[in-house]
Amino acid sequence: MNNVINAIDLKIGYSSNSILANIEELKIKQGEIVSIIGESGIGKTTFLKNIAHLLKPISGTLEILNSDNAPERGEVGYIPQKLGLIKHETVFFNVLEGAICNESILRSISGLHEEKVIDKVEEAIELMNLSNKIDEPIKRLSGGQQRRVAIARTIAQGPKLILADEFLSELDDKTVESVWKAMMDYAESNTITLVIVEHNIERAKLANRCFRLEKNGELEYSILSEVEI
Amino acid sequence: MNIKRKKYPIFLAFILVATYLVFVDLVDGDWSSLENSLDNLSTFFYESLWPPNWKVLEEQSYPVCERNWDFLCSPAYIGIMETLKIAFVATGLGFILSLPLATLASRNLYRDSIAIPFRLLLSAMRTLPSIIWAIFFVILIGFGPVSGVLAMTFYTIGYLGKLQYESIEGLSNDPLDAAKAMGLKNSEIIQRVVIPETANNLISQLFFMFEYNVRHGSIIGIVGAGGIGYYISTYLKFLQYDKVIALLIVLFVVVVIIDLISIKARSYFVDGATFKSPSLFGNIFKGK
Repeated sequence: MNNVINAIDLKIGYSSNSILANIEELKIKQGEIVSIIGESGIGKTTFLKNIAHLLKPISGTLEILNSDNAPERGEVGYIPQKLGLIKHETVFFNVLEGAICNESILRSISGLHEEKVIDKVEEAIELMNLSNKIDEPIKRLSGGQQRRVAIARTIAQGPKLILADEFLSELDDKTVESVWKAMMDYAESNTITLVIVEHNIERAKLANRCFRLEKNGELEYSILSEVEI
Repeated sequence: MNIKRKKYPIFLAFILVATYLVFVDLVDGDWSSLENSLDNLSTFFYESLWPPNWKVLEEQSYPVCERNWDFLCSPAYIGIMETLKIAFVATGLGFILSLPLATLASRNLYRDSIAIPFRLLLSAMRTLPSIIWAIFFVILIGFGPVSGVLAMTFYTIGYLGKLQYESIEGLSNDPLDAAKAMGLKNSEIIQRVVIPETANNLISQLFFMFEYNVRHGSIIGIVGAGGIGYYISTYLKFLQYDKVIALLIVLFVVVVIIDLISIKARSYFVDGATFKSPSLFGNIFKGK
């Protein structure tokens, strides 16, 4: 199977003077579910943003979907820690944001969406059990429902790689279980690679592979190592 | 905390002393010009300004006006209506033109090599006050409301553009990051993230700008760019200060009314506004 993420001797951070982390080697295959754990401020989110091409690595190789260029439109789905939903808008509007990746820019801007795009929105909303909330503004939904909307937005994109940054934080155990299951089921049944940054070790160990970012000895930056599950 | 509090009187004393010293330096120690000022003000107020001449609310002989009520043909009504129309058109045009410039000037959407020139452009438009723009357009086009509209539009673009790009840059990174990671183009991000997320602020700024433009309508009229300022300027030239004060009172009343409407309307659109949410506008805008 192809590597979806291939990182070699990768240094990440916000400037060459302050390197946050060094990833010697990381290969993640298609369909794998991977979690990354580590203390706050260690570089987990920065690493995820590098994978999402939101930040450039300081040095080293980082290939996403066999290319070191920015991924194609819609190939990578990113769920930020605070989800990045448009709070005043409806569930449909937010999920449509993901689905427009499947049509031309002209159609997306003009609002003349293709039927398949609208179908994708409705399917994603149904899959997340949000059909009865389709016209509700996000701000009126509970934390768990908002996370389901964020997942539905990513599903509607039809991505090959999903990056999720501590998106289960601040949820009660029961809601965590249902949101986690919804995400896992979708990723497994569609052979999608899933990289989750997680604070909770128990939840992180539910993934196929788990990595830890931590400071080691006298090094100023953190390094990535695999944790046995 | 106590140390910080103790510093306030010292800071206040410093401000007072510094202000006094700079003022002395400014008048060069010559206070004689201020000696008779109160007497002058009293004479000017009672002999020239007060009482206001409310003939400005009556029909004028020129230009010919064929409306039913006298008031509708009065300089006050014609002037204030023209000022309101100039402010309305200029605010609308300014808003439409400033929004694309503001998005291009936002550093969280475009790289510095694009954003900084657009910031400079908006800054340059804002540097010239609307009265200078008005003089410029009066020279270019001639007297009248069109010069007023163009002057106010240019100033509105500069001023509103700055407020808009500050709102855009104040957006949370998360929705932008999610959209950028998806591979959406900037035009799509503006349409689907930036405008919905900043809509409340943009509308609030629009109301504020309209109110600001009505207030400034009196100034640009003085250089011949139409509106109530045109009448104020004419009465000033003929030393009819009692009519000037009457028009200023009319303008004040109109500005206060617009201000109240604006505050109520803005409170509906801004989340967590400190003023009370209005029932009238709440119902109108909610379509209830």
